[in-house]
Amino acid sequence: MKTLLCALALSTALSGPALAAPVTFTTNLSNYGGDGAYLALYVTDASGAYMGSLWMAGGKAKYYTHLTDWHRATGGDTAEINGITGASVGAGRQLNITLDLSDALFDAGYELHIDAAVEDMRDSPSEVVVPLTRAGANTPVKGRRYIRDFTYGM
Amino acid sequence: MKKYLIATTFLAGIGAAGFALADDDDCNVAMSNWQPREAVKAMAEAKGWSVRRIKTDDGCYEIDGRDAQGREIEVKVDPGTLAIVEMEYEDDDDDDDYGKSGRKAAPVGTLAPPDNGLFTPGSKPVVKQ
Repeated sequence: MKTLLCALALSTALSGPALAAPVTFTTNLSNYGGDGAYLALYVTDASGAYMGSLWMAGGKAKYYTHLTDWHRATGGDTAEINGITGASVGAGRQLNITLDLSDALFDAGYELHIDAAVEDMRDSPSEVVVPLTRAGANTPVKGRRYIRDFTYGM
Repeated sequence: MKKYLIATTFLAGIGAAGFALADDDDCNVAMSNWQPREAVKAMAEAKGWSVRRIKTDDGCYEIDGRDAQGREIEVKVDPGTLAIVEMEYEDDDDDDDYGKSGRKAAPVGTLAPPDNGLFTPGSKPVVKQ
């Protein structure tokens, strides 16, 4: 605890106005009764144009076509998710990612999308679309098909 | 090989919806159009990968090695264009499917996000699943 306080005091002293913030993205999957889900988390601007990816759950590139909106935006380019790719997420399980993101992403019209896909089940592009705002933090958003709820917290 | 054939026949037989056919990722390039192994090695090294072995599999080149973050990778490459056909990380399930669950999370603290303007440079994602 003391270390934490010291670190906090130090970082506050050093950083001045906050330019970055750790943001935790929590995705709870429903018990849809299938194999592990592939999830693509990515950001678009206010006009819907793709800005970049935040996380890819699922490592096999040949399945990325089923994350249809993400794939359309990126052409399936794995360089977009190099270093931010992890395992697929099982039914009923939770994916919890903490990322250090640019502060400019919030309250600036950006939206977070989650595409989901499960083997032998229907693709679910943009299953979650949520505006990135400070006011919207810690408010769970329901998904349509595979995602029970999604929350981002700062 | 026999197991593979049986699996392929079975999946084709039941008309598995979508993408489950086992030979989805096969390459089909005439030998005369294959690029040399040195070109594959150069392509891998340009991406920051360390190459342990290059072999041919299902008509593709297959690179075994590590990516720039040190994770074990197995990458199938089109022998004509050197485009990536399939990329697998060691921590994926090895079945030819989506993965049975999220049992094996990505290693924490060994990842480096791309420079896409969204992340704080030098920061590392922390993943729990």
